[in-house]
Amino acid sequence: MKIEKLLFPTKFGELDLNSLESIFPLKDAGLKEVVLYYVIPREEVGFVPYGGYLKEEEQRIREEARIRFEDWQKKLTGAAIDSRIVIEVGDPVADILKTADKEGIDMIVIGRKKIGADRSLFGSRTTQIVTRSLIPVLVSKYMVEVKYEGETVTRINKDIFGIPLLASDWSKPSLKALELLTSFNGIVQKAHICHVIDVKISGRVGTEELHRIEKESKYRLDGYKERLESAGIQTEVHLGAGKSPSEIIRISRDVGATMIIIGTTGKDRLQAFVIGSTSHRVAQLSELPTLLVP
Amino acid sequence: MEQFKRRFLYLLFVLALILIPLQSAFAGGADHPNIGETLPLFSVIPFAGMLLSIALFPLLAPKFWHHHFGKISAFWAVVLAVPLLIFYKGLAVYEILHIVLADYVPFLILLGALYTVSGGILLKGTLRGTPVVNTTILAIGTVLASWMGTTGAAMLLIRPFLKANAHRKNRTFMVVFFIFLVANAGGSLTPLGDPPLFLGFLRGVPFFWTFNLLPHMIVVCTILLAIYFLFDMYYYKKEGAQTPPDDGVKEPIRLEGAYNFVFLGGIIAAVLMSGMAKWGEISILGIHRTVQDLARDGILILMAVASMVFTPKPVREGNAFTWFPIKEVAILFIGIFITMIPCLKILQAGTKGELSFLIEAVNQPAHFFWVTGILSSFLDNAPTYLTFLNTALGRFYAGVPELQGVGLLIQENPIYLLAISAGAVFFGACTYIGNAPNFMVRSIAEEAGTPMPSFFGYLLKYSIPILLPIFALVTFIFFI
Repeated sequence: MKIEKLLFPTKFGELDLNSLESIFPLKDAGLKEVVLYYVIPREEVGFVPYGGYLKEEEQRIREEARIRFEDWQKKLTGAAIDSRIVIEVGDPVADILKTADKEGIDMIVIGRKKIGADRSLFGSRTTQIVTRSLIPVLVSKYMVEVKYEGETVTRINKDIFGIPLLASDWSKPSLKALELLTSFNGIVQKAHICHVIDVKISGRVGTEELHRIEKESKYRLDGYKERLESAGIQTEVHLGAGKSPSEIIRISRDVGATMIIIGTTGKDRLQAFVIGSTSHRVAQLSELPTLLVP
Repeated sequence: MEQFKRRFLYLLFVLALILIPLQSAFAGGADHPNIGETLPLFSVIPFAGMLLSIALFPLLAPKFWHHHFGKISAFWAVVLAVPLLIFYKGLAVYEILHIVLADYVPFLILLGALYTVSGGILLKGTLRGTPVVNTTILAIGTVLASWMGTTGAAMLLIRPFLKANAHRKNRTFMVVFFIFLVANAGGSLTPLGDPPLFLGFLRGVPFFWTFNLLPHMIVVCTILLAIYFLFDMYYYKKEGAQTPPDDGVKEPIRLEGAYNFVFLGGIIAAVLMSGMAKWGEISILGIHRTVQDLARDGILILMAVASMVFTPKPVREGNAFTWFPIKEVAILFIGIFITMIPCLKILQAGTKGELSFLIEAVNQPAHFFWVTGILSSFLDNAPTYLTFLNTALGRFYAGVPELQGVGLLIQENPIYLLAISAGAVFFGACTYIGNAPNFMVRSIAEEAGTPMPSFFGYLLKYSIPILLPIFALVTFIFFI
């Protein structure tokens, strides 16, 4: 698993260019091409009540997007990364997923959102993409405002690939995430791997069983570490216990991680609501860029 | 929590302020004098303004209209409502509530339910746009339109139709005939087919009565399909009978989300039930509504919710489903329904009202067919239908309660209602603004790269030369 071609959908929000620049280091991990993608929401130009379609308006928005993208392309060319511009009219979520499939994209990069009223760091579109994507999605969060010891702190996530933290639950997506992390060997300074024995497990088993799980978890963590170190990535492992999302975020802060990589099982909204999705919760609550691997 | 509690109490207080006087105003029941006998003619100005806004803004200032149509709709509604409330007080409140609860809400629920359910059915597969295939698609759409609504049938078929013909050079006429047949004439058989017929149903026209339009529909649709086939043959040959570029993959034709037909069946059953059952009445804010009507609305909402829950997102995305068109209809039609009140009331007053000249002038079935039709071409056909239904009631049964009047009209002078219904449904095809699905089809076609004629181009190149002679024939056969 390697990231050679990525899709960068944008709404031309503030700092989107910075988000794009933050993934330039991937060039040293094999990135060849970035597809710059803008969806003109259909409702902006279509379904004029009793009128039809605003063709000229579509042309204007297309031209504006093209001009902005061409400016961004200079940065990409400077970093020796090929790029292409795709501008379409449609439904942003559906078309991002469709285009990723059609273009053979390896990873989607989506931007950040300032902290919301529910402390969530991304909006409904991001949630839908993360939930439905069949390929890795990086929620880049270039600049975020987070509550830290009672104060609002602005954090800039610039060198995001330096110290990644891989949170594993031993699932198949976790293994894929490990494989992906292995492909970052040229750009990672030091990797951390963690596993959390969730309170749902520790709360229902006896001490003896808990010790067995602890032993097995450490064993598996060592296996992961071995895989990464054989790929030339210096690695440290951590075992946590408690509520998985908050524990993963705590560990990420303790070790000074610059990014969280986590496998995701693609629960839909209903499932996520009923049984909870650790990966989505981490991506929503952490101030760090989060790479979700399905 | 405290803040939520305060807001909730505030909301309760505001609701109480509004509802208590309303309840007392209408405690008297159904004995309301017809305000149409005293309303001045200029009270129809907001209605005319609303309809002219719909007709002219998309032509003259489409971008402005696209972003501000809600404010314009609200403006005309307020221009009517404020003076009406000042001068007629409780009576005005009653009339506004009546039209909202008894007409607007059920109208919107039906449209919304049909739109949601049909948006969950996706036709997939490789279709090749030959004259036979295209004519077949149009014929199927025409039949479906009466059962899933012109909007539903148009949304189901327009994208596959455009995709099948993407390789064809001349596509404009295809979309125009699609509008004629699927988005309009096909919807003439049941109250589900076209909004004006549902408004008639809400006012007492039996569900199956509209089947009386079958001969009219057969004449119009057969001729249109035949003309279409000849046009398509001509262009197909002229284009050198091009075959589409073969991408090597031929998908079999299939329907995804076909279980939505079950929900569609639920909608049809619910509407039928509401026309047959007699479960009594209840009063909501002083407005009498039958229990079966409320049950119907509940079932329609349930069908729409079930469709949303059970249809996977990719199916709706395949149809490029969006709530925007239905939101537009909701916003525009609240303005239309409110501003329409004086016009309907004056017409209901018959010769005692300020529009007596209209009632006297429009007195033959052919008059009703053409006047309803011509106005339906340039105004939305739903309010136009109601206007002329009331004109007929004012002419024959002035002062008789509406429900009773409709029953008498069907028994004693059915040809007038046939003329009004046929005029509203068929002539809706004459312009982009005649019926709501017309502009949706145009928008989708233009987005897909099919050049569409301008407003006047559509009228001069297609409607006048093709539709008007057919309507003249219909007049000759059925209304003279």
